[in-house]
Amino acid sequence: MTGPSPIDDHRLRFDDFDNADIFAKKPRLPAMGWNSWNAFGSGNTEELTKAMVQKIKELELDRHGYEYVVLDDGCYHPERVNGHLISDEVKFPSGFKAMADFVHANGLKFGMYNDIGDRLCSGAKVGIYGYEKTDCEDYIKWDIDFIKVDNCYYMWDNATFADPENAKYSYAPNIKCIEVGGVKYNAAAAEITGTRAGIKDGYVSFIGTFDGTAPDHSPVGSRSSELIFEVEASEDGIKDLFVTYASDAVEGTGQWLQVAVGEKMYFDALLAPTQSQEAFTVSPVIQVGLKKGINKIRIMNHRRQENTLNSYAEIRRELENAGDRDIVFSICEWGKTQPQNWGHKVGDSWRILNDITFQVGSDGNNGTAAWEGDYTTAITSQYNKAVIMDEFAGLGRGWNDPDMLVIGMDGIDNIMCRSHMAMWCMMNSPLMLGLDLRRVTKGDELYNIFTNEDLIALDQDPLGIQAKRIFTTYECDEPDKEYIRDNNRIDILAKPLANGDIALGFFNLSQEKKTDDPSVSVDQILSKIGSKAAGKDLFANAKKYVIKDLYTGEAKENESQVFSAGTLDACDSRVIRITPLS
Amino acid sequence: MTTEAFVKELCIKAEMEQEGIFARGREEGWLEAEDEVFKDRSITRKNVARICHMYLRKVMNVADLDMNGANKLKDLYDCRTCANHIAQVYMRGIMDAKNIRREGEFLWFDLDGEDDDAYNSAVIDRLLLVHIGDHVHQDMSGS
Repeated sequence: MTGPSPIDDHRLRFDDFDNADIFAKKPRLPAMGWNSWNAFGSGNTEELTKAMVQKIKELELDRHGYEYVVLDDGCYHPERVNGHLISDEVKFPSGFKAMADFVHANGLKFGMYNDIGDRLCSGAKVGIYGYEKTDCEDYIKWDIDFIKVDNCYYMWDNATFADPENAKYSYAPNIKCIEVGGVKYNAAAAEITGTRAGIKDGYVSFIGTFDGTAPDHSPVGSRSSELIFEVEASEDGIKDLFVTYASDAVEGTGQWLQVAVGEKMYFDALLAPTQSQEAFTVSPVIQVGLKKGINKIRIMNHRRQENTLNSYAEIRRELENAGDRDIVFSICEWGKTQPQNWGHKVGDSWRILNDITFQVGSDGNNGTAAWEGDYTTAITSQYNKAVIMDEFAGLGRGWNDPDMLVIGMDGIDNIMCRSHMAMWCMMNSPLMLGLDLRRVTKGDELYNIFTNEDLIALDQDPLGIQAKRIFTTYECDEPDKEYIRDNNRIDILAKPLANGDIALGFFNLSQEKKTDDPSVSVDQILSKIGSKAAGKDLFANAKKYVIKDLYTGEAKENESQVFSAGTLDACDSRVIRITPLS
Repeated sequence: MTTEAFVKELCIKAEMEQEGIFARGREEGWLEAEDEVFKDRSITRKNVARICHMYLRKVMNVADLDMNGANKLKDLYDCRTCANHIAQVYMRGIMDAKNIRREGEFLWFDLDGEDDDAYNSAVIDRLLLVHIGDHVHQDMSGS
C-alpha cells in the first residue's frame, strides 16, 4: 500500500462534483427502518434482531414505511476466514444469509454494515478495503437490500483510528512560491479561494478541505481552498513549473500536491518530504501547458474528498458488478470530507456529522441521548447543521443524514422526541429507528411519535424537497444559510409538497418556554421556496387555507395569509400542513 | 498483559470459573469475539475499558453515568464504538487519563496504549469495588 490510487474517472474529481454526471442509481425517498446500533451497540444478536423483526410486524411498522432491518457494527467475526466475511458465531450462529432470509420472509428488507478502511470502527479487521469485489459478491449472495459504510481506519485520511500522519494525503504542503518559465510568483500575493487556507510568514498553508466531523464549520459555501496564480503567456506552449514547498503530515500541512491549469490536471502525487513544515525546498519540474494570455495555475489538494469518494465509488461499482440488486447505499463518513459536495455521485444519503449519541444501549439498557450539547451528540447539534443543507439534497440526488433516530433513549422526554421526529421529517432525513422495539406497544407515546402518518408523509413526500429555514428569531441575514449553534431561538421551516400544499414547522430549540409567537406570511414563504413549490400561483392567490396541525390532526381555516404557532414550551414544536382553497 | 491474562485475573478476583470463560463472557455480552480470537495479544487500554464497562453493565448490573463527565478527555470522541466504555471507566475512577501537557491540562486517555501488569491488576481491583449507585469519582487529573 503505497498511497491512494490514481483517479481516472472524471466523475470523481473535485471539478465535477457539482454536475449531474453521476453513477447509475435509482431516485429514491429517504430510507426508513430499524438499525441495531443505537438500541444494542455491538451487542446485537440474531435473537434480538429476530425479536425486532417480529415487533415490526406486530406493530405494523412496515405499513408506516419502516422496511429496512440493518445490522450495524459488531456482527462480524473479528477476522476474515479464507478471505471472506463471516458472522460472529455466538451472536449470529445461523449466519447472515439465514438472517436475510428471515427478514425477507417477513416481508422486510435486510441491511448490513462495513467500512471503507481495513477495519470496522469496532476494530474488527474486516474492513472492505482491498476486498471490495469479494465482499460485494458475498453481500449480493446474502441478498442485502441496504448497506451502510463507515470511515474508520481509512488509509488516505486522518480519520478515526487511522494513522494521524495520513494528513499528508489530505493537505497540500505549505507553499512559498512557484516559478514558471523562469519567473517567480509569491504565494502570499496569489489568490486564495475559500476560507480554509491562509498566509503565515510569507507562505500559504491549509490548502485542502475542512474536516467536517465536528460541529465547528458550516457546510455551506466553499469548504476547500486552492492557491491560484495568474500567469500571463505570450504564446501557447509547455512551460517548466517549480513549486517551493515544505511538507508535513499534520492537519493543515500535507505532502500531496495537485497542480492544474484551468481544469487540466498536470500533477497529482506525493512530493518528497521536507525536514520540517518550514524547511522549504523546490519540487521536481512539472511541465504545464499554457495558453496565450492569462492562465490560472491552481495549486491544490482535493484528494481528501476525491479519495473518499473513490473508495465509496469502488464499492458501488462492485455491488453493480456482482448482481442486479436494488441496494440503498448509505454513506457514513460523518461529514468529514464534506460529502454534501460529492455524496450524490454514488450514494443515497450521507451522514453530516459524527454520531448523535455515543451512549448507545444494550439489551436491558436504553442508552442515552441529549437535546443539547457542545459536540455532535445531541439532537440540536445534528439539526443545526442539517437545517442549512437543503440545497444539497433532493430526489435523485440523495439525502443529508443527521444520524439515526434517538426516540426512546434515556435523557430526552417525549416532547423532545416529537420535535426530533418532526425535524427529521421536515428535513427529508432517513428515518432509522434505534430503540428496542420490545418496549413499544401500539398506541403508546413512543409509538404515536414515530408512526405519525402526517409527519412521515412529509419525509416521504414524492416531490422530495428538504424544508428550508425561512425565518429564525436569532438575528441573522440569511436564515437558510447561516450556521447557528445558539439554541436560544425559534426556527420556522417551510417545505413544499407534491400536491401544492406547504408544510411549516415551528421549532423552539431552547430549553425554556417561548412566547415570541413569530409568524410568516404567504408572501414570505413563497419568496423563499416559491421556485420549488408545486402550484405556487394557487398557493399565492388562495382566498383561504386549511391548516392541519400534524400533531393533533385538528384542521381549521385561515383567511389571514399569516401563520404562527403561538407559545411554544421548551423544546416543543408545531408542524402544520397548509392547503390552499381556490 | 494479554487479553487472556486480564480475563483470567478478573475471573480469579471475581471468583468466577475460568473454564469456558470466553464462551460464557460472549454469551453474557461482556466479552467480544476478538477477545477470544486474539486472546494472546497485549490488551489495549480501549479494550480494557470495554471489558470493564460491559462487565459493569452485564454482570454487576451497574447503570451508566452521564458521559458528559468525561468530556475533558481530548481523545474521547476519537472512538465512536468505545467512547462510552472509556467515559464510564474514567468517571468511576477505574482507569485514569494522562496529562500530556507540561503546563495546563490536556487529558488524553490513550486509546491504543497499553498498561503494565500492575496497572491492569489495579484496574480489576477498582472495577470490583464499584457498587450500584456509585457516583462520579473524585477528579483524576492524570498520571
